[in-house]
Amino acid sequence: MKTLILSVAIKLLIPVFIVFSLYTLFRGHNHPGGGFIGGLIGAIAFVFHTMTHGPQQTVDTFLKVNLYGYPRQPNQSRSLYLMRMMRVNVWRRRRKARQPNLNEKMIRLEPIYIIATGLLLAASSGVVGLMFGHPYMHAFWADFYIPILGKPGTPILFDIGVYLLVIGVVLKITFVMSEE
Amino acid sequence: MRRKVLNVISYEKTRDTFTNEAFLMFLAILAGLLFAFAAPFLYRWLGRWVYVPMALLPFCIFLYLLSLAPAVLAGSPLGEVQKWAPSLGINLHFYLDGLSLLFALLITGFGTLIMVYAGGYLKGNSLLGRFYLYLTLFMTAMLGLVLSGNLISLFIFWELTSISSYLLIGFGHEQESSRNSALQALLVTGLGGLALMAGLILVGMAGETYTLSELLTRGDMVTSHALYLPALVLVLLGAFTKSAQFPFHFWLPNAMAAPTPVSAYLHSATMVKAGVYLLARLTPVMGGTEVWQYTLMIVGGITTLLGAWLALQHSDLKAILAYTTISALGLLVTMTGIGTAPALEAMLVFLLAHALYKGTLFLVAGNVDHATGTRDIKQLYGLARSIRPTAIAALLAGFSMAGVLPFFGFIGKELVYEAVLEESPLRWMLFAVSFFSGMVFVAVALLIGFRIFWGRSQLSTPLQHPDKALLYLPPVVLSLVGLLFGLLPGLLATPILRRAAQAMLGEEQVFELALWHGFNLVLGLSLLTIALGYVVYRFSGSLQSHANRFERLYLFGPDKLYQHAVKGLITGATKITATIQNGYLRNYIVTIVITHILLLALSLWKDGPALEMSYRLEQLSDIRLYELVLILLVIPALIFLFQSRSRLTSIAIMGIIGYSIALFYILFGAPDVAATQLLIETLTVVIFVLILHKLPAFQYLTHARERYKYVLVSIAFGAAMTYIILLVKQYPLDSPLKAYYGENSYLLGQGRNIVNVILVDFRALDTLGEIVVLAVAAVGIVAMLKLRMQKGGKP
Repeated sequence: MKTLILSVAIKLLIPVFIVFSLYTLFRGHNHPGGGFIGGLIGAIAFVFHTMTHGPQQTVDTFLKVNLYGYPRQPNQSRSLYLMRMMRVNVWRRRRKARQPNLNEKMIRLEPIYIIATGLLLAASSGVVGLMFGHPYMHAFWADFYIPILGKPGTPILFDIGVYLLVIGVVLKITFVMSEE
Repeated sequence: MRRKVLNVISYEKTRDTFTNEAFLMFLAILAGLLFAFAAPFLYRWLGRWVYVPMALLPFCIFLYLLSLAPAVLAGSPLGEVQKWAPSLGINLHFYLDGLSLLFALLITGFGTLIMVYAGGYLKGNSLLGRFYLYLTLFMTAMLGLVLSGNLISLFIFWELTSISSYLLIGFGHEQESSRNSALQALLVTGLGGLALMAGLILVGMAGETYTLSELLTRGDMVTSHALYLPALVLVLLGAFTKSAQFPFHFWLPNAMAAPTPVSAYLHSATMVKAGVYLLARLTPVMGGTEVWQYTLMIVGGITTLLGAWLALQHSDLKAILAYTTISALGLLVTMTGIGTAPALEAMLVFLLAHALYKGTLFLVAGNVDHATGTRDIKQLYGLARSIRPTAIAALLAGFSMAGVLPFFGFIGKELVYEAVLEESPLRWMLFAVSFFSGMVFVAVALLIGFRIFWGRSQLSTPLQHPDKALLYLPPVVLSLVGLLFGLLPGLLATPILRRAAQAMLGEEQVFELALWHGFNLVLGLSLLTIALGYVVYRFSGSLQSHANRFERLYLFGPDKLYQHAVKGLITGATKITATIQNGYLRNYIVTIVITHILLLALSLWKDGPALEMSYRLEQLSDIRLYELVLILLVIPALIFLFQSRSRLTSIAIMGIIGYSIALFYILFGAPDVAATQLLIETLTVVIFVLILHKLPAFQYLTHARERYKYVLVSIAFGAAMTYIILLVKQYPLDSPLKAYYGENSYLLGQGRNIVNVILVDFRALDTLGEIVVLAVAAVGIVAMLKLRMQKGGKP
């Protein structure tokens, strides 16, 4: 669907969506919000992007990292090589990307990985209790308070897991539906 | 080393920690599992030498068990508990007495030889690592089975043996026959396992404990319990399927599709004896009644006769051995059924003797098959010249099987005759059964131990390769052990068999095994058996040639019945699936909704309270303006939805309805739910829009009347739900939960949003389940849309 206004707007709005979804996630413990709602808000941003730009564009923009590299020269020390690779990939990305002799390696973040990460995080947040002899899912809380984020604790980890999982599920469904 | 001496009766306390022995027993099981799953990697690393570590494992366990033997033989069972699910009375409990020790030694000792043998037999097979995985897994499961001191853990190991047996029989998975045999074995033993589980739970209920050592003292309690009979039937079903008793015997000959080491290990020496072990184990608990005795005697007797009869009609080495194994298992069950002290002693001696000679003969059969490429006895002759060590092993094992004097099999047979001829109502029938099987055993022993190797012939079957040490050493060792046991019965076998008999009979047994009992009736009968067996052997050739006359009888045999049942199950399942899973979403929804309404109506009609309508109607006058506005928004939208002829309009209207409901949530103070509802509505609309243009044009295929049917169902459902909710609201809800959550949300959950605290803390496990469902749904959607199957093909 090509609508100019939405497609421009969504590009600008995605960071806002993400920040707002994170805010909703962390505020959830004391006010309306939480991992599920936060995840939905975050996912909606990408869904709108997919709707206006197509799934390929969304993946290219947000879920893919291009790493550049070239074969190691003979007699080049390993640390020097690693440093150069890092430089190519971090602060000289744009310029180096145009050079033809660089090999491009793509790391693609599949939504299914996000789902798996979320599930792992949610499931393993309960293991902490298990390790200290409490029942599974026993909550642990820190004593201090972080502004905006609130008090850190294992239930927050669980909520982050839910958040990631929801984003992953919605993204996966959207991509599958629109790719066909 | 500290030994914990257990008094069987006072063994009540469960302890948290292991003593040394039990910890090592636990470690042995654990090591078995570890080795099993390390086997493929060891194979990659060591190549054909993989058999060395794999054989060392059972050997070490064997030595360890031997080190425990003095304590057990002194008359004190060892046992220890590791709590597993204490609330259910299920513990990881190990219990080692004479009976378990006998079986455990048999499993590990035999296992060592089999591991070595398999290294030679399957040399060069690229799946050798996998084979060792299955085999070690099986050995561990079997060890766990006989060491279990708790009915439930016993059952778990029991099932594990069925599964690993399935994998082993299906090892040659390229052949359809071996796949089918594996499935058959799994289905038959699995069915028995299911019955066994129910039976063991009933036994546990009757005896009020699952712990074996406690159960052993509560035999009277169990046998006089009302649940005794169903429990007995179920347990026997489990034992009979596992030990291939009539009418479940048919899976065992088919299981010979497995590689020979497997046949020798699982299907002659160990796994099929698990059923006998269970019967022996439960003799003090469930035995002694007439039902028990007669069922075991009759089923065992029929199996003995049938196995012996069928053994004569086959010419395949492994098939003959399989049927004689069935016959021997039947004899063991019969002996257990008689239940007197001499019978149980005879059972144990015969069990040990059978394991030794039958294992040897299976290995010999494997050697012959491996070296010549055929197992048909008609094509095998004069092999003693070419594979002499194997031939010697076969001869020794054959002597033992035939019950010739200095061998252990002789003692076994003598004791069986003695026990059978004791005073009992069925003595002559039982004697006939054991005599017949003894005769057939002699004939088979001559056939396999003598004729194919030492029979007079100018030629010998051409060999594909000469005998290999890895292949002939295990059977030679085994057959020599059989000879040794026969020569020194008092020294080697008596102590452990005594304790094993004690485990079954409850009191200490004093019996001495001796080779020579003097000239008496039993000796005469033994000699007569051998003489008549020789006659049977002379006529075995003509019997085999007439074997096909009985083919028509087998059309009604259990094997055919099984095949019909499986075929029927598949056709039935296909038909049911075609009816239920018709692929129309609307039909599923209608079915679910109507079932729901009917169930609701049923329970309301039976004992549901009536709704006070008058009180509710009064409340209608209090309606607020904004509520009215929302209702006025929803109802026209609904009516419009029924009229709409375009998908886009329908989706938009559904959106309106959804948002209105979200507004309701906000008005009645559920901001979390409202937010979720709003977001979900948005997403639904967006996703619909994404796939909208891919769908075919919208058209009404159904008749207008059909549509009214759906409208009616929807109205009925809505009305039913409204009614229920009004009914629920009619009664004040005084659940302590609400107050509890309210109070503790901030104190324990450290959050002021109760809904969220419930979701991520109080009931986090539920949420975890829900998100797992969500993830699975996503995977399912991908599978459905991406990997769409071609018609009739695979994705």
